[in-house]
Amino acid sequence: MRIVLLECKKVIMSPVIIGLFLLFTAFNLLVIFNSSDHREELKIVNEIIDTYGREITPSSLELFKIDIQNDLLELEQLSGKRYDSVYDFLEGLDMEAYERYSEKEKTFISQLQLKEMYESTASSIDENYAKIDIEKFGQTSLEMYQVSGQAAKTYLAENEKFAKRFEEMIQNGEHKQWFFAGKAYMMHTFLFKNIFLQMTIEILLLVVLSTAFLATYEFEQRSHLVTFSTRRGRKLLLDKLAASLAMAVAIAALVLGSTLGVFFMVFDYSHVWETSISSAFNWEYNFPNVAWWDLSVGQFLLAVIGMLFIAILLFSGLTFAISILVKNSYITFFLVAAGFILLYMLPGFIPHSSNWVFAVGYTLPTLVMAIPGLFMGSSGLIFFKNFEWVTISAWTVFTIITLVISYRRFAKLDIQ
Amino acid sequence: MIVVKDVCKRYGDFTALEDINLEFTNGLYGLLAPNGAGKTTLIKMLATLISPSSGEIQYNGENIVSMDQRYRELLGFLPQQFGFYKNYSPAQYLFYLAALKGISKQQARIKIDELLAKVALSDVKHKKMKKFSGGMIQRVGIAQALLNDPKILILDEPTAGLDPKERARFRHLLTDLARERLVIISTHIVSDIESIANEIIMIKNKRLLYKDSVEQICETLRDAVYETTVDFSQLDEFRKRFVLLSEKQEYGKMIVRFIHKGDKEEEWIPVHPQLEDVFLYEYQDEMVEGL
Repeated sequence: MRIVLLECKKVIMSPVIIGLFLLFTAFNLLVIFNSSDHREELKIVNEIIDTYGREITPSSLELFKIDIQNDLLELEQLSGKRYDSVYDFLEGLDMEAYERYSEKEKTFISQLQLKEMYESTASSIDENYAKIDIEKFGQTSLEMYQVSGQAAKTYLAENEKFAKRFEEMIQNGEHKQWFFAGKAYMMHTFLFKNIFLQMTIEILLLVVLSTAFLATYEFEQRSHLVTFSTRRGRKLLLDKLAASLAMAVAIAALVLGSTLGVFFMVFDYSHVWETSISSAFNWEYNFPNVAWWDLSVGQFLLAVIGMLFIAILLFSGLTFAISILVKNSYITFFLVAAGFILLYMLPGFIPHSSNWVFAVGYTLPTLVMAIPGLFMGSSGLIFFKNFEWVTISAWTVFTIITLVISYRRFAKLDIQ
Repeated sequence: MIVVKDVCKRYGDFTALEDINLEFTNGLYGLLAPNGAGKTTLIKMLATLISPSSGEIQYNGENIVSMDQRYRELLGFLPQQFGFYKNYSPAQYLFYLAALKGISKQQARIKIDELLAKVALSDVKHKKMKKFSGGMIQRVGIAQALLNDPKILILDEPTAGLDPKERARFRHLLTDLARERLVIISTHIVSDIESIANEIIMIKNKRLLYKDSVEQICETLRDAVYETTVDFSQLDEFRKRFVLLSEKQEYGKMIVRFIHKGDKEEEWIPVHPQLEDVFLYEYQDEMVEGL
């Protein structure tokens, strides 16, 4: 344990790692604050959930509509005219007239506008979901991705399973839960695509650098003849591996902790943690986000973080194995980067008529780059229900085998 | 006791060492050969850093590779190129190596203070090593080799970078250490070991040439080493005829020390052979090649 801690100290004392961590964190915070102009508007969802409950039921929606009508009466008192919708009021309002209202009245108008938007979306959920034809959606996807032959059969078979899940989701009413308006704010994309993708790349850079740094440290400092001839001998590599994995966890925890900590301080998610990730409000693009399982926003976030941690540990393990082989941190870094890009692009080189086009997508780079679509049945060619666990299991086995082979090879290697 | 049994080391088609058989008990052994003769290969095998291609090395009858940690915990090793962490102080670096050597934190602190005093580095105990001279680094290297109070101390070119005063101090230290342990010093500098080694090991053409005391090795050139005075004009001719060990200019003439096995000439003065004479004689071809 003492050796592992002393190895960790080497990373902690590295100015490059510390400098990059601070730079990345500062960048993440800048992106969050730059996109926080609508943070106050998001709070209306918390109020709605507080007043009407998390689930959208006919009775709660009716209550919501009555309250909006009351607000419209209040608007009538303010404007001196009866409106059916706040949007009608705003349409006939010029800037000069708007500025005559007090701040409190402006806030009231703005809140009413948001309430109407949420009510309108909630009222049209059934109508919008009734229009969704999963089978047709599957066919469209096949055309879009130009999938044919055996691959098309596989895709449609999985799509059939997804159709059942979609029905189950509708039956459960997972989609009828309040969440931030997806089309207006795209909070799922912002958090899980922009912020998470940014953090994933940063964590990967730091973890690959720190792992390669630790694994090759003795060779690069030319202290290998001293360290590997001590009592601990070549088993020092096991300590270095443990330290690399510990540092990978620490780096991921620090980057995620600092960035997500600030993110959730800026954007108040306190009332939506239990909302289903498949909520109709989480519909951002052409098709709603529909998870294979009944997951809440909180569970989805934890699952994504869990996946990311496992993937990062596997990346660290693979980097370590390569480092032992090449004994140079720069070459290791470029080999890992090249491998990452190659694996990520691999499906593009496979004929879209073969099932291999799906199989080669079961890679760690694809997994970490597809975070917003993880556990979703609406995530393109990697929409398979088993994608996450098969990818993680297969790559865990591969990483362990690679590490064992590298270590055994090193144990017998002449150290020059 | 360490026994090197029929050890060969090959790298592809190249043979570095062939059929080496040696025995080491307590005392100081000097491994003497020119650079590139295979000293470091043998030393690295003794430190378990590389494995013999054939044969084996035993410690008290057990293969050192099989002994693994049990062998290396008896070992103190200073490699020829002693690598160190530039941004660490000697205390920090030795503390790290103490952990690798299985020494407890408390013991390590006491031992580090003691060893840094021994190698006269107490004053710079907490200074970063990137500012150290070559001699200071080498002294840190010597200190780390002694951290675990080893029963087997292997030093590869330990005096590289040390000034004459440090060399003298180091020789005294080694004499003390060799009283109760096995010390093996690899060097190509005869004066480092001539006066302190119990036995000298010489390797030539990848094989063991000598393993004997300094006196016995010098005996091999008994009645073959002479000194004489020659004119400058005759020097080139003299060089062609004899193996010259040294040349010294005095009163406009050259005093030469040389080897001749056969009848002596009248003006030649027979002298007692030194280890350096044997070294120069045995490795004359390799040294010419080296030039």
